[in-house]
Amino acid sequence: MTTLRLPRDLYPGSALDEALGVFAEHGTFERKDEPSHWVVHITARSPERERRVAGELGNYALGLTVKGRKRS
Amino acid sequence: MDPQGFPGELVSVDLGASSATIRVDPATYPLDALYGAAYIFIDRCFVLLDKPDASYRVTLAWKKREATEDDLRALVGEFANELLSCAWRAKISEDSRALIESVTAQALGGAMGPPTLDELEKFDFSDETFEDPLGIAMSWEEKHRKKARPDDANPVDGDNVTDRKP
Repeated sequence: MTTLRLPRDLYPGSALDEALGVFAEHGTFERKDEPSHWVVHITARSPERERRVAGELGNYALGLTVKGRKRS
Repeated sequence: MDPQGFPGELVSVDLGASSATIRVDPATYPLDALYGAAYIFIDRCFVLLDKPDASYRVTLAWKKREATEDDLRALVGEFANELLSCAWRAKISEDSRALIESVTAQALGGAMGPPTLDELEKFDFSDETFEDPLGIAMSWEEKHRKKARPDDANPVDGDNVTDRKP
């Protein structure tokens, strides 16, 4: 299992929610949010795939965050 | 491990994870600059932003292949340059914001068409001081008024000249 921790100050929850929806079919995701971070436990069929899914999920959430700031 | 040429307290690399970690001072680089620089690298790296203390922490991890120390050093250098560029653009944008808003407001005002009589009636002209250094802002009557002669005890306005028949 790979854990992705995104700080709430830098990533809006809506961006993570949308990213999780997009990547739903690429692994199993379990959210256990903390006061300061969004925490996602990722399970995939191999550690290398978990690393890739976690990285792409983080990138996607970052991209949505940046686009959201440009719109506002 | 510290990449050659970068301060060890700001940059570290992890060859095993093919990643580099950079600390970013928020006082020097605004958050929008950080987002802008990070966004540019998401096609090459997995980018993770964090804020463990007063400074931001950026982790750049190669996506596909094993990275060498030189690869990671070049990656850190490119990111630092891009971060500086984004910060400078943000500063220019902030400095010119008032000018852009002013020009935009004038353009929108012009596009709305000429003001109506009601709008003109409500317009407050009193808040702008009118400067006339050449003295050309006077009516025809004021400009062509007859000068009063020293012996004339009852000077007459130019409008009433026709009334002064002998």
